[in-house]
Amino acid sequence: MTAIRQLPRYGSLWLLIAFVASVLPHTGHLPPWISVAAAVAVAWRVQIFRGAWHYPGRWVKFALLCLCLAGLVLVYGRLYGLEPMVAMLVAAYALKLLEMRDKRDALIVVYLGFFVAVSLCLFDQSLVTAAIVLFALAAVTAGLAGIHQTDLHHRHFRPAMTGAMLLGQALPLMLVLFLVMPRLPPLWSVPMQRESGTTGMSDTLSPGDITQLGRSAEVAFRVEFADDVPPRRRLYWRGLVLSRFDGRTWSQWESWTYARDNIHMHGEAPPHWLAGQWGTGTSVAYRVTLEPTQQHWLYSLPIPQPLTAGTGVTRNYSLVRREPVVSETAYRVRSWQARPDASDSLSPLRRRVETHLPAGYNPRTQRIARQWAAEADDTEALVRRVLDTFRRDFFYTLNPPALGQHSVDEFLWDSRRGYCEHFASAFAFFMRAAGVPARVVVGYQGGEHHRAENYLIVRQYDAHAWAEVWLEGSGWVRVDPTVAVAPERIERSVVDVLEGEEGLFSASPLSLERFRSVAWLNTLRLRLDYLDYLWTKWVLGYREQQQSLLGDLLGRVEPWRIALFLLAGAGLALLPVLAWCFVQARPAFTRVEDRWYRHFCDRLAGIGLAREPGEAPGDFARRVAVREPAIVEPVKGITEAYERCRYGGDRAAGAELKARVRRFRPRWSRLFFYKDRKP
Amino acid sequence: MAGLREGVRRRYWRWVARRIPPEKTSRLDRRRIFIFPSRAGFGYLLLIAVLWLMATNYENNLVYGFAALLVAVFVVTMFHSYANLSGLAITVARVWPAFAGDKARVDLSLCQAGSRHRDNIVLWFAGGEPVTAALASEEARVSLHVPAPRRGRLVPGRLTIESRYPLGLFRVWTHIRPSCSGLVYPRPLPGHPIATGVPARDEGPLQAEEGAEEFRGLARYRLGDSLHRVAWKAYAQGRGMFSKQFSDPAADKLWIDWYAFPGLDREARLSRLCHWVLEAASGHAPYGLRLPGLEWPPDRGDAHRDRLLESLALHEIDPEAGS
Repeated sequence: MTAIRQLPRYGSLWLLIAFVASVLPHTGHLPPWISVAAAVAVAWRVQIFRGAWHYPGRWVKFALLCLCLAGLVLVYGRLYGLEPMVAMLVAAYALKLLEMRDKRDALIVVYLGFFVAVSLCLFDQSLVTAAIVLFALAAVTAGLAGIHQTDLHHRHFRPAMTGAMLLGQALPLMLVLFLVMPRLPPLWSVPMQRESGTTGMSDTLSPGDITQLGRSAEVAFRVEFADDVPPRRRLYWRGLVLSRFDGRTWSQWESWTYARDNIHMHGEAPPHWLAGQWGTGTSVAYRVTLEPTQQHWLYSLPIPQPLTAGTGVTRNYSLVRREPVVSETAYRVRSWQARPDASDSLSPLRRRVETHLPAGYNPRTQRIARQWAAEADDTEALVRRVLDTFRRDFFYTLNPPALGQHSVDEFLWDSRRGYCEHFASAFAFFMRAAGVPARVVVGYQGGEHHRAENYLIVRQYDAHAWAEVWLEGSGWVRVDPTVAVAPERIERSVVDVLEGEEGLFSASPLSLERFRSVAWLNTLRLRLDYLDYLWTKWVLGYREQQQSLLGDLLGRVEPWRIALFLLAGAGLALLPVLAWCFVQARPAFTRVEDRWYRHFCDRLAGIGLAREPGEAPGDFARRVAVREPAIVEPVKGITEAYERCRYGGDRAAGAELKARVRRFRPRWSRLFFYKDRKP
Repeated sequence: MAGLREGVRRRYWRWVARRIPPEKTSRLDRRRIFIFPSRAGFGYLLLIAVLWLMATNYENNLVYGFAALLVAVFVVTMFHSYANLSGLAITVARVWPAFAGDKARVDLSLCQAGSRHRDNIVLWFAGGEPVTAALASEEARVSLHVPAPRRGRLVPGRLTIESRYPLGLFRVWTHIRPSCSGLVYPRPLPGHPIATGVPARDEGPLQAEEGAEEFRGLARYRLGDSLHRVAWKAYAQGRGMFSKQFSDPAADKLWIDWYAFPGLDREARLSRLCHWVLEAASGHAPYGLRLPGLEWPPDRGDAHRDRLLESLALHEIDPEAGS
């Protein structure tokens, strides 16, 4: 068949609306000129719709295509990457919309629309985004429905209703599929978002990094404990261990890709350096739902035992993940409160690494450190002396002065004002200068306890840096210089400590955190956070629960049980659809006589005498009389009663009609009067 | 390859013919309706596959969710696509007569029990043009055209009904064979009769029994003029409505005679006769038709004309043979 290719006029209207609905939410992370180009495409299309302008010619289209490509290369410098690819998609969508003439073009436009709408989720996965994407998908579906409906001239909203109805009926089935659909690990690595709105923790530490995070109230992760939430001072969420110092910046000595024998993945037999750690002392089990960081490391209390597939623990007792955390991810951990094994001595190589200092930096600190080391009885005494110094005349502030080349010297002996990274960095440097192995650990400290729902919210401003020193006989011991200078930072919250200080929340201007003191706003804030947590936990981080939830639902997770569940669930989810599609809607009768007359017609239809559509009752009765003389009398009586009742307003005839129709059995009458039938 | 394809196609049609027998009213049900994803539907599945890859590689559960939603829409649409045709009853109301070489108009009636809004139903007879219909109430009427290449009885044959409503993701179709037939009259060809040697009868094909009628000319049709006098040919050519004027509008009798066209083969003769029947029918005088073995006495009226045309259409046609 030659398909009818022409596009229904009002179908293209809905494609236009779909375009706006799916591109508009993207404007935040697209270069402005793409948004302008999209607006021009929409305006042009509207003019075409009104018949005012023509379609662009071939050369105009070619020029526009070249312009778009050049613009993309100019803005991004590359075409491989998440933002450039989405920008390219939007540009293609706009160009295709402009040149759309027939159904085939419209289909490409619709499919691009689906893609552009869903790709919004790669930038943001909040509940609001989901609602926006759902709306955009409904609009695109309406566009698709619009090009397949014919009589739209007076019913412009029919495609939208069709789209919304289809989406609505699909939702239950979607739920079943979402629960069951297998989640595979990534098949290949994909380009990530380059410039995210809020920066999480990076894998290096320079003065000012954590100060930057301290200005943001974004959620970093949330934790649900199996039992009680441990006291605040024990909530040191270890992230990265930084052992390399170049004079200004701390960084990892190993890259995240540890040698196989220095990392233990979940499910493997524990190696010797872990064997003594697990199973002794007390432990606390919890579940972390981490916001995307685009990084490989995770956060955990010491000493973590990974309980989720794909996660592992390094020899530094950091928790890592095989795949980078590109979206909301949940993992379970059990942390053992045991001390690191004292017998685990430091290898000569590691000792050299952990005491290495770059030449030519901070000469004054190096000199004093050597002097103090000589004066101290042992390492503990040295640590105490340094912390005492901090306690006496240092200030904890979110707005420290900028530091020059000899950053530690300037900080320790001159400015004496700093945030946690200044203290941690200076302390570790001092210890190394004194010949003690020391390193910096970055992560988060504390968190807000959501008492109503009993979980912990850790935000970016909880970011923290502290130090670890090697004590012979005890191993690596945590030393947090911030405790010395601002003990309330650990006991309460950084927000309380820095209340009123300039810069707090400056990266989150709209955060409700600003109004913590207003009781009802604070309640509202916590409610909203719980909603967001539920969303993150059950929708975005569902991957980790899938196994346990399916296990609870099915008893055991086996392929045939899943298949059965899918079938039963899909059947149940589709029941309303089946009812809608196949229960034929008969016209609703407002008059009872119409209903009785239809019974009469149905009975005649049963013996092969169907009333033609639009046939008058009288004509029908005469036709029946010719074919079936045996039932002339009852047919005549019923028809007359019906006509009297329906058109003559004779209410009494209604009762007669009812009685006669009840008695009317044409099948039987025909049996008895078979001989009278005309051939 | 082409042979194999042809073979598969033949088998398919044989199978369809066995599965769906000819019937007066075809009620579309499971037995008669076929459904398969359209090309657009496969494109849509490809889109879902790409989204699924995106969800997997970005570990993005929201994209998983929307991919699942699109899969669910696909499944739901399958039922809606099927429901658009299911339960529809198709009856051929009338096959209009046509002249050979023209297209015959076929009136269909689409009925349903409820008042479901069925949209974008495309119907066509094999060889005919597709027509799109919609059904918003209990009944709709559609007119199709089928080619009528040869004189005789026309059986429109296979009627294909196809729908891609509501989203174009599925092609739902059926092939039914409505049992109905129509007449195809010979193609009217103007040609002057030739006098044959037989006297008393053969002074012309249009012999007035009592004096020749004299055609005077055409005058613009006025309300009240006899419809028999309308110059239908002129009307058909779009020149307007004219009445034929005759010198003596008395009861002349004309004979249209098979034997007045010697030397022509059967079809050519029938074409001439058809032309003259139409001419005579637009006049006022009674006219009759002589065919070998058949004679219609002169008469007037539409019914008479149609009877004559039918005789021409079915002359020497095996009553069992369709076209």
